[in-house]
Amino acid sequence: MTAIRTKRSLAARAADVFLSDYFIFYLCIAFIIVLAPFLPVLIAPANAVNIMSNMWPLLIVAIGQTFVLAIGGIDLSQGAVMAVTAVIGAMLITLAVDPVTFMRTPLWGLILTEQGGPLAGVTGGVLLALVMMLLAAVLIGLFNGASVALFDLPPFMVTLVTMMTLSAFALWLTQSGNIANLPDDFTRLGRGDLVSVYFGAKEESQLARRQVYSFVTFPMVIALIMAFLAHIILNRTVFGARVLAIGMNRKAAVISGIPVRRIVIAVFVLSAVCAMIGGLLYSARLEAGRPTLGGGTFLLDVIAASVIGGTSLFGGKAKIIWTFFGVLFYVLMSSALSAMNLSAFQIDMVKGGIILGAALLDVFRTWLKRERLQ
Amino acid sequence: MKLRLRRLTDLVLNHSSLVFLACILIYYGLQAPAFLSVESLGNIVKQSSFIGVAALGTTLVLMTAGIDLSVGAVMFLAPLVAGMAMKHLGIPVPAGFLVSVLTGALLGAINALFIVKLRVVPFIVTLATMFLFRGFGIWLTSSTQFDFSEDMRRFGLSSLFGIPTPIVIFALVAVLIYVLLNHTQFGRQIYALGNDREAARKAGLKTARIEAAVYVISGACAAISGFVMIAQIGRLDAGFGEGREFDVIAAAILGGASFFGGVGTAFGAVLGAILIQAAKLGLVFTGVNLYLQPVVLGMIIFLAVFADAVRTRRLTNKLKRTIRPLTRS
Amino acid sequence: MNELLAVKNLSKAWFGVPANSNLSFSIAQGTVTGIIGQNGAGKSTLMGMLGGTVLPSGGEMFWRGQPYQPRDAADAIKAGIGFIHQELNLFTNLSVAENLYIDGFPRRMGLIDWKAITQRTREILARLDLDFDPMIQVGRLSPGERQLVEIARALHNEASLLIFDEPTTSLTPRETERLFATIDGLKAEGRTIIYISHILSDVQRLADRVIVLRDGKLVEQGPADQFTIPLMIRSMIGRDMGGLFPARSNKPQPDPILVAQNLTQPGVVEDVSLTIHKGEIVGLFGLMGSGRTELARILFGLDPFQSGRISIEGKSPEQGPRARIEAGMAFVTEERRAEGLMMDASIAENLTLVQLDGFGAGRLGILDRWSMVERTEQSRTELSIKAANIQEQPAKALSGGNQQKVVIGKWQIGNPRLFILDEPTRGVDVGAKFEIYSLVDKIAAEGGGVLMISSELDELLGMADRIVVMNRGEVTGEIAREQFDRERILAMAFREVIA
Repeated sequence: MTAIRTKRSLAARAADVFLSDYFIFYLCIAFIIVLAPFLPVLIAPANAVNIMSNMWPLLIVAIGQTFVLAIGGIDLSQGAVMAVTAVIGAMLITLAVDPVTFMRTPLWGLILTEQGGPLAGVTGGVLLALVMMLLAAVLIGLFNGASVALFDLPPFMVTLVTMMTLSAFALWLTQSGNIANLPDDFTRLGRGDLVSVYFGAKEESQLARRQVYSFVTFPMVIALIMAFLAHIILNRTVFGARVLAIGMNRKAAVISGIPVRRIVIAVFVLSAVCAMIGGLLYSARLEAGRPTLGGGTFLLDVIAASVIGGTSLFGGKAKIIWTFFGVLFYVLMSSALSAMNLSAFQIDMVKGGIILGAALLDVFRTWLKRERLQ
Repeated sequence: MKLRLRRLTDLVLNHSSLVFLACILIYYGLQAPAFLSVESLGNIVKQSSFIGVAALGTTLVLMTAGIDLSVGAVMFLAPLVAGMAMKHLGIPVPAGFLVSVLTGALLGAINALFIVKLRVVPFIVTLATMFLFRGFGIWLTSSTQFDFSEDMRRFGLSSLFGIPTPIVIFALVAVLIYVLLNHTQFGRQIYALGNDREAARKAGLKTARIEAAVYVISGACAAISGFVMIAQIGRLDAGFGEGREFDVIAAAILGGASFFGGVGTAFGAVLGAILIQAAKLGLVFTGVNLYLQPVVLGMIIFLAVFADAVRTRRLTNKLKRTIRPLTRS
Repeated sequence: MNELLAVKNLSKAWFGVPANSNLSFSIAQGTVTGIIGQNGAGKSTLMGMLGGTVLPSGGEMFWRGQPYQPRDAADAIKAGIGFIHQELNLFTNLSVAENLYIDGFPRRMGLIDWKAITQRTREILARLDLDFDPMIQVGRLSPGERQLVEIARALHNEASLLIFDEPTTSLTPRETERLFATIDGLKAEGRTIIYISHILSDVQRLADRVIVLRDGKLVEQGPADQFTIPLMIRSMIGRDMGGLFPARSNKPQPDPILVAQNLTQPGVVEDVSLTIHKGEIVGLFGLMGSGRTELARILFGLDPFQSGRISIEGKSPEQGPRARIEAGMAFVTEERRAEGLMMDASIAENLTLVQLDGFGAGRLGILDRWSMVERTEQSRTELSIKAANIQEQPAKALSGGNQQKVVIGKWQIGNPRLFILDEPTRGVDVGAKFEIYSLVDKIAAEGGGVLMISSELDELLGMADRIVVMNRGEVTGEIAREQFDRERILAMAFREVIA
């Protein structure tokens, strides 16, 4: 009798774990514990730092996507927004460009010269460039949002078009060249060691640079602040409750007096701005404005990371903490795969497997929840 | 007068894809008369067969309110398997074609398995298989370019009664899908399923089988389109077909299919594909900067989607019960 | 008499909770059996078992004396059971003929034989006295016509048992009459019918036998003439109701809350004027398509109007539902699932939806969780919502009546002074109906104004202080409580239709 009872409570406890918001986090820890003995590299400080530096920009972009998914939409244009804003920003502040590559760009002589962009060396130039990038992102978000909210166009098609158009535009602006020679003020954003950690013997007075691991960086601080704010906004404010309500039942939201159009537009603007900030951090780290930033399967990575966390593609079900763990899991997985010296195709296959696994997990969790309701 | 104007806008909106196509042909024709030559027009149709055949399959998927993102990867993997069979088993090109179609159908069946049996959302399933299929293909080729035999290229450049083989295959698939959709029980049941899944189940339709079949057909179509395209190039590299799923979906949507299911036609898919290809080729003819071509194409797709939204809105307004005759007011 | 269907000790439990237990009854060929019961009494589960969509967990069924174990809907259709569902199961993008043949087209060389199906369809339609083109798209038919197409579908399947599940909810009285005539005709042909409805007078009118379900059990069965309506109600809810409607507890006051003057929107409403006073329940009656719901949408700012004036407590609100809500208006729509509730959200989340602003603090609008819990628990008590945990349980887990209470409750949190209720008791069982009527009475007693739209004239006669009748987008009459007269009101509603 008692045996049955404990067995049952065990099953119930297992269900608790499965249904917890932290499930993916537990999975991450389990993943590390299982793999660490075989892949000591995984928990080496260098790798940990690397995982984190990959995680922060992705997290920021995924936060924006989470909001769009919450209203039942999808934003395919985030990668292209990253490319366009990065190129615009870099063009304005670059200190010098290679005339051979950039002579053919449409802006040669107007904005770009051999001496770099118009804001090169200007005090406050970087700040001004950031404002311009923000402005561009807001405009793009407004276009996406207005097309969806005011004209009832399907988000998939609208953002597909913006993706096509903007990534081509970014390539055209630079004629496929990367804009390098960005000022220190800008590239510092990608590093900014606020707290560094040194692992090694204590008595040495001079430290070799590569033994110091930047632990707390600007991207980390920015991403964590944004994640925290986004969490508050989505799950603790009137705005967030309205976003989720729209995702759950748009008609009911309209009748209940929720300003649906305004909120849909705001969400797309938010998504574009998040993409821009993510792109900014990538460009700062890469020390270049790349027109191909956010290309390839990047966007699918973003969506996959959000969905792995548990956010629903149908809207109305989203949490920032889910996205946070989803991104962590995704980055962890990618880094483990590259630590195993897998080639690109193997990584692709495992990625596909993970996405499927996450989807099956979601099916299982929904089933579990329904079972519990009964 | 006002009424006539309204009728005219209705007419334009109801055939927006045709109108767009006409506009594109006229505009580029004026810019570069060579664009309207028989050769160039034939070229448009021939090149649109690549997107078109796959769009026909995708139309079926969209009709059930599903989506297939693995199209691009199937375009890559299925002909590759066929190519390997041809190389190592020495089978002729037509048999290779069959292998490719069967492989595509098998890949579609894998999608169907997850969607129908395990009830995972199509978007996620096909997103995952997109990675899986391509990864598998690259593993098969060890990341190198795969060269097909000379026979393959001969097949790609051949023609039947003076009509290039790709066009013949495109037309055949289009007619097959048309007959399937409009004149078979299965086709009408796809429409029913897309209109109301629950009602279809209650009416005793084998919904799982219908839905599964749709993904199998989509896989087969993607395989055909990949095979025919590769036959024209003669080789296959790791990036072949990547991102094509978006072009394919755009063509189907331009052709009148909807993400919400229940609508779409074979003719529409053909038209959508030709529209995209005509716009692309026109840009080449008129010498628009290569970098800006996607920008113009994006704008055309946007306009078409916009026209579709306006049309849907007018239709719903019209279907809204008019309680009183309008003329009296 | 010839026994067509027999059910012995049929049971079904969902995860240990019985939905049907030990049902035993038999149905004779050529009869009409009315099945009644409150929501949750087990009617849908029973129908699911007959139709092959629900697997019984115990007991047996016999069809024409043979054991009957359908595994899916197709089995039931093959056996000869046809369903005419409450929510129409037709494909609006297909033609009438295709809807009939969707599960099995006659074919010639693998292709659909269009000639055969149009001809056959025309014959079936003729039997039902329907004269539309077999190739017309179902999407272009009226709700009543669609209902008849459903019957045509069952006839086409050569169903010997037709099961009608709440068929009249979306029909006009005239269409209802036509449906009843059709049912009489089917019976005369020797077909057997099961008729499920909340409208007890319809059951009385049609049925030869009545079966009453309560809490999954069969509590009463017998010839229809043994059942009066009060008796039906008593056996359905297990106690006396003491009347269907609560007594109106107040008299309207003289000052108006809503004044609508000469509202006109081409094609929708024409020159509609309407006044609602404090403490008054105004009933709005009209047939389907008379413009009732359309008028409500215009009043609530969801749809535009070309000319006329709307004022609420002397002020003209701006366009859009938000301004109307701020002006003190509330709108319970007829589509509870599609427009009223977020089915997957918790009951509490649904309750706070309209007044989210009120729970937000500061510029960011941080939600005050504590006062939200407090306020929603208060609503739960006031409305007596039957749920274990309103903070966690999703709205979809509630019965129809409790869902409707949640919809009313979400508006009440903002203390509106004017309620528009569109079909507030549709799909709600008898017990919960009474509770909703009491809520409506309470709103009026507290000085609020109510516009109650319904196609059940009885409920307006029972509740309203005044009834306004619409027809074809015009107000065709207005009648005060003292002069209520069923015949006159129906005449006003039918005016142009008859002419």
